[in-house]
Amino acid sequence: MATTEKFVLNMGPQHPSTHGVLQVQVELDGENIVGAKPVMGYLHRGIEKLMESRTYQQCVPFTDRLDYVSSMNNNLGFCMAVEKLAGIEVPERAQYIRTICCELNRIASHHVFIGSLTNDLGSATGMIYAFRDREKILDLFNIICGARMTCHYIRIGGVIADAQDEFLQKTEEFINYVPEMLDEYDRLFTGNEIFQKRMQGTSIISKEDALRFGMSGPNIRASGWDYDIRKIDKYGIYGKLDFDIPVGKTGDNWDRYIIRLQEIVESAKIIRQCLDNMPEGPFMAKVPKMLKPPKGDAYHRVENTRGELGFYIVSDGTNKPYRVHIRRPSFINLQALDHMCKGMVLADAVTAFATIDPLMGEVDC
Amino acid sequence: MWGKGLVTGLKVTWGHFFGKKETVYYPEEKLPMTERFRGGHLMLDVEKCIGCKVCAMNCPNAALKLTVEMDENKKRHMTSYVHDIGRCMYCDLCIEACNFKALKWDQNYESATYFKEDLIYDAVEEAKNRRDGNE
Repeated sequence: MATTEKFVLNMGPQHPSTHGVLQVQVELDGENIVGAKPVMGYLHRGIEKLMESRTYQQCVPFTDRLDYVSSMNNNLGFCMAVEKLAGIEVPERAQYIRTICCELNRIASHHVFIGSLTNDLGSATGMIYAFRDREKILDLFNIICGARMTCHYIRIGGVIADAQDEFLQKTEEFINYVPEMLDEYDRLFTGNEIFQKRMQGTSIISKEDALRFGMSGPNIRASGWDYDIRKIDKYGIYGKLDFDIPVGKTGDNWDRYIIRLQEIVESAKIIRQCLDNMPEGPFMAKVPKMLKPPKGDAYHRVENTRGELGFYIVSDGTNKPYRVHIRRPSFINLQALDHMCKGMVLADAVTAFATIDPLMGEVDC
Repeated sequence: MWGKGLVTGLKVTWGHFFGKKETVYYPEEKLPMTERFRGGHLMLDVEKCIGCKVCAMNCPNAALKLTVEMDENKKRHMTSYVHDIGRCMYCDLCIEACNFKALKWDQNYESATYFKEDLIYDAVEEAKNRRDGNE
């Protein structure tokens, strides 16, 4: 009688669909997945430790390198944590510019999600469309801060330079383009039957499981939780803005995709409100060049594109942080991978990685 | 009807096939860089620089190695300004730290080199070459 045994397959760290250097040890029974174990650490740079030997201002460019497709949000998280620690009041204009940049970055990050998801599902054309539109946002960042990905634009106390008229005008042009862009995505991917069949009903995370794994961001919202730090904490100017939180029903891959499309619409709505109500005034608070926050600690969380990004900073009264801990959403979301892959076939594992949307720079830190 | 979505998608791609091009022919055609663009070599204005080394102190990755000499009038002169691009994060902190605005980027984004050693250059020497070239 023929016997079969389980087979362990190493996906990654050089696999094209693991979005960086993630290795997944997939245990297979024929084509079916029995377990998927993510192996991390290939991109570990010790950013938390590096920050201990840098001044507070010097730490900010390191946060760019955490989640490098949404660097503005990382800058914001760290700067707000330091501002909380040192008691710095940020001017209102700076808050508006920060919000515009963060939401643009959220859209750009979702472009990467859509692009890589379609690429992983076998449609390389789809990736080109999403990246073409992402390019428009990166050009906007190039205008405002001179960098496309590692922006280092949001600083402790505000932003480093004022938003030019050219930037504001081109942002408005982009926001006007968003409905047309999403319509094209709908015609190209969302309506595609193969795309739907591959995504609907696969890798379901139930409402309870999502909570159990401590997931956050679009992933937990796709499972049905109305959990968004922008609404809960109302940090910055988010309390003044009117926007909705898209929530999914089943928590399958399809919901995770649709949620992100809807979030692009909401982000565009936020940016439009910011552009309409932008006040005049200073863009930077008075912050001493040698910033020495008082002894103590502070935790601040922001809604990153991938979930709840938290910075815990302990100060010993000197110009360097005593300890920094970063709560990275990708790292925690990745725990669900095993649960999502179980019972699926190998080709669906790739879809599961793509819809968790992990970023290895953030996972390994 | 099953397959309708596929046909709609094909219409989109065919529309772009005959539409306007989104890309440029790179080496022949170059995109303009913005005013605030951070990248390339550091351009040091030796006339403005007072050799205070604040730029090197602000660098998070120790990418700048400077040597300063003092003349008989106790005036400081920058003799070498070695910038290691391999360590540089292009964070702009050096330029922002300069009180005399003696530093700026040359905005040349084609900084890839064949050898690692070519990433290290001396900004004082480059400033001298620029001046000699202009004369």
